[in-house]
Amino acid sequence: MTAAAGATARAEAAVAFPSAAWFQRLADAMNATRARQEQLGYVDCVAAFTVLDGAPDGGALVVQVTFEEFEAVAVRVAGAADAARADFTLEAPLAVWREMIENVAAHGGRPDLTHTLNHLSHFGTPIHLAGDDPVRRDAYFRFNQSLQEFVNASAGFRTAFPDQAAQA
Amino acid sequence: MTEPAHKVEDVKPLPPSLPLTEEGLAHYEQTFGQHYRRWNEILERNAERLRRGQYSLHWLRTDGSDWGARRAKPSSRGLTYADVNRLPASGALPDQATWLNFAPRGSIREPYAADMPTIDDYVVLRKGEVWAENVVSLYEEAKARQWNATRDIPWAELEPLPEDLEKATCQLCTFLTEVEFVAGDFPAKWLYRTPQDFLEVKSFLATQIMDEARHQEVFRKRALAGGGLLHASPGFEWALKAILEAPTHTMGTFLLNLLGEGLVLSIFRSGEMIAKTHVDKEIFRRCLQDEARHVSYGVLELKSYLDTHPDRAAALEEMHRFADVGEQVILTAFTEAALVEPVAVLLGGGLDKIDHGMEGMAKLWSMFIDEYLQRCERAGFPRRERCRIPTTAVWGA
Repeated sequence: MTAAAGATARAEAAVAFPSAAWFQRLADAMNATRARQEQLGYVDCVAAFTVLDGAPDGGALVVQVTFEEFEAVAVRVAGAADAARADFTLEAPLAVWREMIENVAAHGGRPDLTHTLNHLSHFGTPIHLAGDDPVRRDAYFRFNQSLQEFVNASAGFRTAFPDQAAQA
Repeated sequence: MTEPAHKVEDVKPLPPSLPLTEEGLAHYEQTFGQHYRRWNEILERNAERLRRGQYSLHWLRTDGSDWGARRAKPSSRGLTYADVNRLPASGALPDQATWLNFAPRGSIREPYAADMPTIDDYVVLRKGEVWAENVVSLYEEAKARQWNATRDIPWAELEPLPEDLEKATCQLCTFLTEVEFVAGDFPAKWLYRTPQDFLEVKSFLATQIMDEARHQEVFRKRALAGGGLLHASPGFEWALKAILEAPTHTMGTFLLNLLGEGLVLSIFRSGEMIAKTHVDKEIFRRCLQDEARHVSYGVLELKSYLDTHPDRAAALEEMHRFADVGEQVILTAFTEAALVEPVAVLLGGGLDKIDHGMEGMAKLWSMFIDEYLQRCERAGFPRRERCRIPTTAVWGA
């Protein structure tokens, strides 16, 4: 990210995390970079991002992102009845997601060596990769570079976490 | 003059180059010059027609084809195999291949059957022996997600590592360079044994060969851009031989794609996690995507084989007998010091922390094997009770 882009990002209103709006910003960023997505190739999966303590009542907030071809075509908060739609789920507490997002931002859109999605999920902790069907779950690996760049795009805007939202 | 050999092991092969070339050429001359004459009859027929100045124009007749009925329509992605396979004559895959030549599925070929040669090497005749329900989409995905080991890796960012970590990285890359091409040679072996009517599978296997060429290339380059290639290993070699010499396509695909590449996928994921440079991270992340496609094909190919086999119980027992041996031979590679120790050094963060790294390896081992067994179950091949690979690492946590 350039310095000018960074300044623009800082000037814009922060987007609350966790929320569907935050993931929609990532989707918009992905859909605005068609040429890059065509380099990376098709992404066809439904990824669920679970913030285990992200709901207003302290429970889990799940956001499903549907990827088709070169785009993120749908973002929605998912309930229990939607669980089967997801090919895989990445689950972690808010603090873990926050550390990852802040790391991505601090490094200009490319996290350091210990904050990539694969690094954080490989041992099953702090991010847990879940999915009942191993073939569908393997989509997480088949599209890993695209998913990494999807979350890297969070460096392009400001994120407000719950304690910061209260201050704002 | 050399002494005569007294034991079978001492018998030396004949010098191979000239006599074998001569023998092969003589056989070719005899076969196509004398034995096979049909091509000559066709040539004479063609020459006679040309001498008479006549046109055949038989190729304008369309009886028995899809011609004019419907045209293949592209979807949002372009024109995929799934799109063209909606046409009835060209889209329908036979359960049993009977056209053992290059005549395209969906072409007007019946009138010419008697004049056509048979390719004796086409031996994979049952669709269930090669098909997987995801093979068409995996082929499209593979084409779309190709990358370039020369250009797409930020090689200029490669930083020197401490010697123990560089050696561990280069040894891991040497292992991966050694094993990657079997995953190209194996599909190549069966690609040419699969008839043209299963063109979607042949196309996917061609992408797997390209993927593996790129993996071999990128790991070789990484080692040579660092310290250099280190040790080859006999344990790897026997595992690779066991894959290459598997008696059937399905058995070998199980051993290569489902078990072997499943484990290599885990190594790639570990490689990304323990990478000490962004260059290494990018390499492993790119490679693990390709590997996961091969694993997906392996799981659903085995499922297709078992689901369509006329005697499922017998097929299962044969697969179990094969896996009883295959798992142990593969285990030989995945217990080699030349693999386990460098990964442990990278996991631990240095040679002096190798014990800590081995603890991490033990955790990963249980995870790897559980994932393998889950994939077997997904394929309808319950292996949990019979698995010959220890579910926990032999060195303990």
